[in-house]
Amino acid sequence: MLSELEMERAVFTLRKRDVTEWLARLLGQGEVIAPTSGPCGEVIFSKIDSPEQVLWDFENPLSPPKQFVLPQTDPIVRIECKGKGTQVAPIHDNRRRFLFNVRPCDAKAIAFLTRMHETEPADASYLSRAAETTVISLDCNAPCTLGFCVCSDSGPFASGGSDIELTDLGEKYLVAASCAKGEAALSGMDGLFLPATDEEVAQRDDLESEAKRHFGDETCHFGSAMRRISTGRVDDALWEQMSDWCLACGGCNFICPTCYCFSVGDRGGDGTWTRCRTWDSCQYAAFTLEATGHNPRAQRRDRMKRRFFHKVSAQYFVRDGMAGCVGCGRCISVCLGATDMPAVVAAIRKRAWHEH
Amino acid sequence: MNTDVFVPQIARIDAVRDETPDTKTFTLRFREPREEEAFRFLPGQFVEVSVFGYGEAPFCIASSPTRPGAIETTVRRTGRLTDAMHQLGIGAEVGIRGPFGNGFDVESARGKDLLFVAGGIGLPPLRSLIWYALDRRERFQDMTILYGARTPQDLVYKDELKEWETTAGVELHVTVDTSSSDWTGKVGAVPVLFGETTLRPESTIAYVCGPPIMIKFVVQDLFGRGFQDESVISTLERMMQCGIGKCNHCTIGHRYVCRDGPVFNFKQIRELIE
Repeated sequence: MLSELEMERAVFTLRKRDVTEWLARLLGQGEVIAPTSGPCGEVIFSKIDSPEQVLWDFENPLSPPKQFVLPQTDPIVRIECKGKGTQVAPIHDNRRRFLFNVRPCDAKAIAFLTRMHETEPADASYLSRAAETTVISLDCNAPCTLGFCVCSDSGPFASGGSDIELTDLGEKYLVAASCAKGEAALSGMDGLFLPATDEEVAQRDDLESEAKRHFGDETCHFGSAMRRISTGRVDDALWEQMSDWCLACGGCNFICPTCYCFSVGDRGGDGTWTRCRTWDSCQYAAFTLEATGHNPRAQRRDRMKRRFFHKVSAQYFVRDGMAGCVGCGRCISVCLGATDMPAVVAAIRKRAWHEH
Repeated sequence: MNTDVFVPQIARIDAVRDETPDTKTFTLRFREPREEEAFRFLPGQFVEVSVFGYGEAPFCIASSPTRPGAIETTVRRTGRLTDAMHQLGIGAEVGIRGPFGNGFDVESARGKDLLFVAGGIGLPPLRSLIWYALDRRERFQDMTILYGARTPQDLVYKDELKEWETTAGVELHVTVDTSSSDWTGKVGAVPVLFGETTLRPESTIAYVCGPPIMIKFVVQDLFGRGFQDESVISTLERMMQCGIGKCNHCTIGHRYVCRDGPVFNFKQIRELIE
């Protein structure tokens, strides 16, 4: 007997041999984006043509699926200045899409992005794309190499953000819709999904506890870092010291699933332009450079401070309902120096940064 | 009516006036009359102006809401977009998004003396409020305007300065850092003008706009004369892109100059942590 809550959440199981059929049906309804094997064998999120391309056992790709709701170059306004006056029109991307097998951390990051873009004044350009996107996440039965999602309540099992949660139960997947959009993506699939039993739901919970047990001690303790950052109680000398190990490359911003800072510019010519939003990086000096030449964050240390204030301060935590970090660990692999999230949080907590 | 936050409304340049060798005032009129009627703003608010093909940049509205119709922006040539804007003539079309920002709290200034202290291109945002106050003259007590620029030719709104000089109930003092042969007025940085006037700090609101160095010395002087943090008001400048609190270029801590500002009093400015 399913509990009332589970009835509400529409929990099913799907036999592994039926996954191909489900994906084939989803492909008939829209684009399916999934982790696939890239040209050099690396794992990348890309649009698939056939169900076999989807990877099920994979390390999370370095580039998060953020690009499918917030492209690096995002056309937002069409501008025509030809003949009789200027014409402007919004550009909305209404393609129906399924983000398949994204990890819970990345699903939570998309929820974070959506919440930000919903804040008044709502951003119709982003929201139209997000509205047509169904996020189907795959729980992590074991922690990934660098992840610390347990510290930011973003994993290893779905923790908000997924429209449908998949859990690998061995012979089958548990399939749980968490909202109407998720339920819609499961409907009309006659025969594929079977109602889950209490035992199967309990199995999921056991797997979650088991996965959490496998996280090491060296994770990311946000609490004390947040207290210090929020009250300006991190010595400038510490920021200065840490900033020596930041190359200001912006890599951490671009691979971060929650970073969304952007610039706006016109592309095109001859009277026809596309106004585009493009990802920008708070680690670049030009991010705050004013037309007069004045720059309030000309120093790298001030830009680092800014990045961690936005991600870890209580002020932003209150506004966004979560830290601006889902613990995916990508900044650890991309950072050319040593100023990734856990390193900086540890340094602030211990009020010292390790000497290199 | 399009409500998409990034889609500008179209306006035509109605007039262009040279203010200084590198600064012009543009009169912008919405192409759609109903958009003009619907456009309501407060002194101190700003608009994002599109120069198509170059993008957008924020400019304060230099005209007053008491004089509806076309709006004015005063633009100094300092980069790609403003260079391009300076090439535009009457009839050219630009985009407008806005108004954005909080604007000056004109209600809490009722019954007070108003002191305006501006340096160089810092006068445009105050001009909106000055005309507002002149058009609602009965709501305010004494009005004092202290204005300085690098040289006489860098003074903006030269005709209006003459007009304000002879307006009853307005005290205007102007200074320049470096004189020229035909300059007969004061020479020196803006704070020298405090010697020309008598202020009542307890019943005055001071609006200070200009380059950071001027603001620093002017507010030191004001606090020295007994002004309280809450009654010294400025507008902050930051690099901006979206104007609506999304892009994060203009943040100071968790505050956004584009949404929480650009107008702040000094109590608020001191509470901004970064």
